[in-house]
Amino acid sequence: MTRRVPTRRELLGAGAAGAASLVALPATAAAATATTSGSTSSQQPLTETERLQRLIGLELLLVYCYRYVLSSSILDPGTRRTLTPFVDHERAHIDALQTHLTARGGTAPPGPDSVKTANRYLGHRDVAGRLGQLKGSQDALNLLLRLEQTTIGAYFVALINVNDTKLISLVCQIMANEAQHDAMIGLSMPKGTPARAVPYGLVQGLQ
Amino acid sequence: MVSGDRAPSRRALLTGTGTALAGGALALAGCGSVATGKKAVKKAPMPLRRRDIAILEQALELERRTVSAYLACIPLLTRPQRKAFRQFLNEELQHTGEIASLITAGGGTPPPRADSYRIGHPTDGPGALAVIHSLEALQISSYLEWIPQLSPGPVRAAVATVLTVDAQHLTMCRVLQGQDPVPGPFVTGSA
Repeated sequence: MTRRVPTRRELLGAGAAGAASLVALPATAAAATATTSGSTSSQQPLTETERLQRLIGLELLLVYCYRYVLSSSILDPGTRRTLTPFVDHERAHIDALQTHLTARGGTAPPGPDSVKTANRYLGHRDVAGRLGQLKGSQDALNLLLRLEQTTIGAYFVALINVNDTKLISLVCQIMANEAQHDAMIGLSMPKGTPARAVPYGLVQGLQ
Repeated sequence: MVSGDRAPSRRALLTGTGTALAGGALALAGCGSVATGKKAVKKAPMPLRRRDIAILEQALELERRTVSAYLACIPLLTRPQRKAFRQFLNEELQHTGEIASLITAGGGTPPPRADSYRIGHPTDGPGALAVIHSLEALQISSYLEWIPQLSPGPVRAAVATVLTVDAQHLTMCRVLQGQDPVPGPFVTGSA
């Protein structure tokens, strides 16, 4: 059964207790250090190639999840119209990232090829909700929202660690675009308003 | 057209933001991105720190200009729009706090606020939305130019948390203006 996804407001409240927060709320020094390095102390920091592979992996998961949700009859027509262009946006992100990855001699990871694989990846990313178990529009939007926020978080960490200025520019442009997706998903929620869709002054996503 | 609802004065808007601003400051104090960014800017070599501070001072001026525009424009909006934009104003004020705290952490002093800012002369709601739209777009394009020039990664990331919210504000402006809210895969701030 699908676990209820906490609202962003709940996440914000939980941030004080050290839970993952959408905006950077009270974080321990240890958490800040882990964020800075992008890895735990026992691991080597990722190379730019590995980081690009990780970002592309997330984008491929986003594409899979958007396509899954859009091909079902879960969403109302208005929300479907809003979200449909996002698939092409994510594809464009993958293409741009792949150009940088290829220049470094790396190869893109495979995307999920089944619902089971996608759900496994969602689990690895601590994204609540599973494809095939979505009970309605709100479940689907919550899953996509969490995945977009996780992706924003991955770009935030990348900005800390990447040094190539062209790649930094690209990461900023994509991170801001994912934040726009996040806002539009928020606006598409029941009782969504512009104020509720952009509830925080600083957005660094979920890590 | 000017909304028939009683429009709040600038003083009321600022007073109303006081509480939220205090909350924002609290959140900022424990903010991972700001805390990490502050540490990084303190540790940066002096020449890099000076360059970062010069960039951050420009960013602060632009944020203050945007705050000024919100204050001037909100009374021209419809009641539901005012509710949203008052919140966006709080968020812009939080951005000024973020940028100012990074300047201070780097050993700089935030420059004094200008007496006034050039924001145009909107006389109705659509004009007000257009002014806010153009300033949000200007902020985005400026941050996209500035962030790659900032040297310690955590400072870049801290400033990017402002960029993301400006991009969301721009999207909401576009929704209210009847435009495509997310017109492309890469945010450029061009329009």
